[in-house]
Amino acid sequence: MELPIKTENLKKVYYLGRRKGTRTALDGLNIEVQEGAVFGFLGPNGAGKTTTIKMLLDFVHPTSGSAAIFGKPTTDSATRQMVGYLPEQPYFHKFLKPVEVVSMHAGLAGVERRTIRERAMNALERTGIAEYADTPIGKLSKGLTQRVGIAQALVGDPKLLILDEPTSGLDPIGRRYVRDLLIELRNEGKTIFLSSHILSEIENICDTVAVLKRGKLVESGPPDRVRNDNSIIIAQTIPIDPNTRNRLKFIDVIVEQQADCTMLTIDPKNVYEVMRAMEEMHLPLLKIETRRESLEEAFLRLAA
Amino acid sequence: MARIWIIAKMSLLENSRKQVFHVLCLLMLAVIASSTLLSIFTEGVQIKILKDLCMTCILFGGAALAIALGATGIPNDVESRTIHPIVARPVTRAQYVVGKFLGTLITVAMGIGAMSIAFGMLIYMYQHTFDSFLLMAVLFTLLEVALITAIATAISTFATPAVTTVITFMIYLAGTIKIGYIGGLIEQSTNVLSKGIFLLIYHALPNLECFNLKTALVHHDAIPAAYLGQVATYGICYTAFVLVAGAAYFASREV
Repeated sequence: MELPIKTENLKKVYYLGRRKGTRTALDGLNIEVQEGAVFGFLGPNGAGKTTTIKMLLDFVHPTSGSAAIFGKPTTDSATRQMVGYLPEQPYFHKFLKPVEVVSMHAGLAGVERRTIRERAMNALERTGIAEYADTPIGKLSKGLTQRVGIAQALVGDPKLLILDEPTSGLDPIGRRYVRDLLIELRNEGKTIFLSSHILSEIENICDTVAVLKRGKLVESGPPDRVRNDNSIIIAQTIPIDPNTRNRLKFIDVIVEQQADCTMLTIDPKNVYEVMRAMEEMHLPLLKIETRRESLEEAFLRLAA
Repeated sequence: MARIWIIAKMSLLENSRKQVFHVLCLLMLAVIASSTLLSIFTEGVQIKILKDLCMTCILFGGAALAIALGATGIPNDVESRTIHPIVARPVTRAQYVVGKFLGTLITVAMGIGAMSIAFGMLIYMYQHTFDSFLLMAVLFTLLEVALITAIATAISTFATPAVTTVITFMIYLAGTIKIGYIGGLIEQSTNVLSKGIFLLIYHALPNLECFNLKTALVHHDAIPAAYLGQVATYGICYTAFVLVAGAAYFASREV
C-alpha cells in the first residue's frame, strides 16, 4: 500500500528579486505519513508548513526533491481526488451560501450529481452549521466560515485530509467540536495531515508529529519520542523585569510571565546554575515541581 | 466536462453580481432605447441609423463587458485565494481556465442577449416584421466577443487586471483597424525590416472586422454562406488557440 504522503528532499527556494536574492522556505524535507495516522505538522510562523502544504497540492512547484500522494507525484491532478483540503483561512465568494459552496466542492470532488445536495447537507450537519446552510457566507462569523471550510474538505469523503490550522478563529466550544470531529475521522480510518499552532489540541490526537524550524525538519516521531524523556523542572518566582528575564534566558530557561508570578521551565541539567542565578538576583523560589515535558514545551525547546 | 461547467457556473454567478456588468448593460440599453428619438429622419433613413447605432452599441457593449470581466476573473481569484480550495480538487489548471472563460462568456452573452432583445423589439416596432439577419449579426458579434474574452482570460493568467485591460483593449482596437491601417502600412513600407514587423503584427493580431456584419445588416447585402463558415471557423480556432496558450502558461504558474 502506498503511503498517503511521502516527501524526499523537498526543497523550495523563492526568488525575491535582484537585490534581495533568494529565501529558502523549505530545505530538504523528508516525511512519511502512514495510512490512518494523524500527523501533526508543527513549526513557528515562517517555518515552511504552508509552503509544504502548497507543494503537496501543487499550488507551488518544488525547487528540488519530490512529493507523492498515495504513490503518485503531486503534479498529477488525479491525486487530489483522494484529498480534502482546508486552507489556513478559507476564502469563499461572500455572496455564496454554505450549501452552494459545499455542493460546488462536492461536484468538483466527483460526487454523483443526484446526491450532491444530500452530501453537502450531511457535511454541514457534521460540522454543526446546517442551520446556516442558506445564509450568505459574507454574513457568517470567522468561526462559522472556518466550519464551512471543514465541511467542503469532508464532502468528497477523502482518504486524506490536509488541514492548515483547522481551529483557527474558533471559540473554545468550536475547537472542542473540531477536535472531537478529528478523533471521529481518525477512528473512521482517515489519514489526517494537520498543521497547527494550538499544540495542546494536537498532543492528544496525533500519532506522529514533525517539527519544522526555518525550513528544516528538527524532530519527528510519536509525540512521546519528541518530548524530552527526562522530566523538566518548573519553578515559580515573583514577577521579574526584562533585564532579569534576559539573564535567565541566557542560561537556557524558558520564562513565562503570568499575572502575579513568573514560571521558569528549567532543564534538569541546568537546575543548579539557575538556582545560583536566582539567588544572585534575589529572586525568591515560591514553588518548584518536576513533571514530564508537554508537547508545547518540546515545541518551544525545538523551534524557538 | 462536469468540472469545467461547475467552475463556469461559479464564474457566471460571480460576474453577474459585479457592478460593472449592471452598469454597462443598463448604459447600452439606455443608448438603444434613446435611438427611438431619431424621429427627425425619414423612415427608411431612420431604420438604417437605428440598426447602425444599435449594432455598434451591442458590439462595443459586448467588447467592454468581455474585457472588464475577462481581465478580473482569474487575477481576483488568485489575489483573494478563492482559487486554492478549487485547484486543491482534481481540477487541472486548463479546466479552471476554460471554466472561467466559459463563465465570463455566458455572462457577456446574457448582456448581449438583453441588448439584442431590446434591439429586435425596436426593429419590430418600426418594421412590423422580424429581421432574421439580425440574429446572424448578433451570433457573429458573440463570436467576436468570445475571441476578446479568450484574449483577456489568457492575458489575465500572467498580468494584473489593469495591465490585462489595457493590452486587451489595444489588441481589440488594432484587430478592428488592422485591415485598413496596418494593411496600408505594409503596402507603404519600403524597408524590409519594418515590412516584416508589420506583417508579423498583421498576422498575429486577430481580424475582428470580419465578424462585423453591421453593414450587411443595414444595407441588406447578401453574404455567401461559405464566407460565414470561414469566419466562424477562424473565430473558433483563434479562440481555442488563445485559450490553450493561456492554460499552458497557467499550468506552470504558482498560485
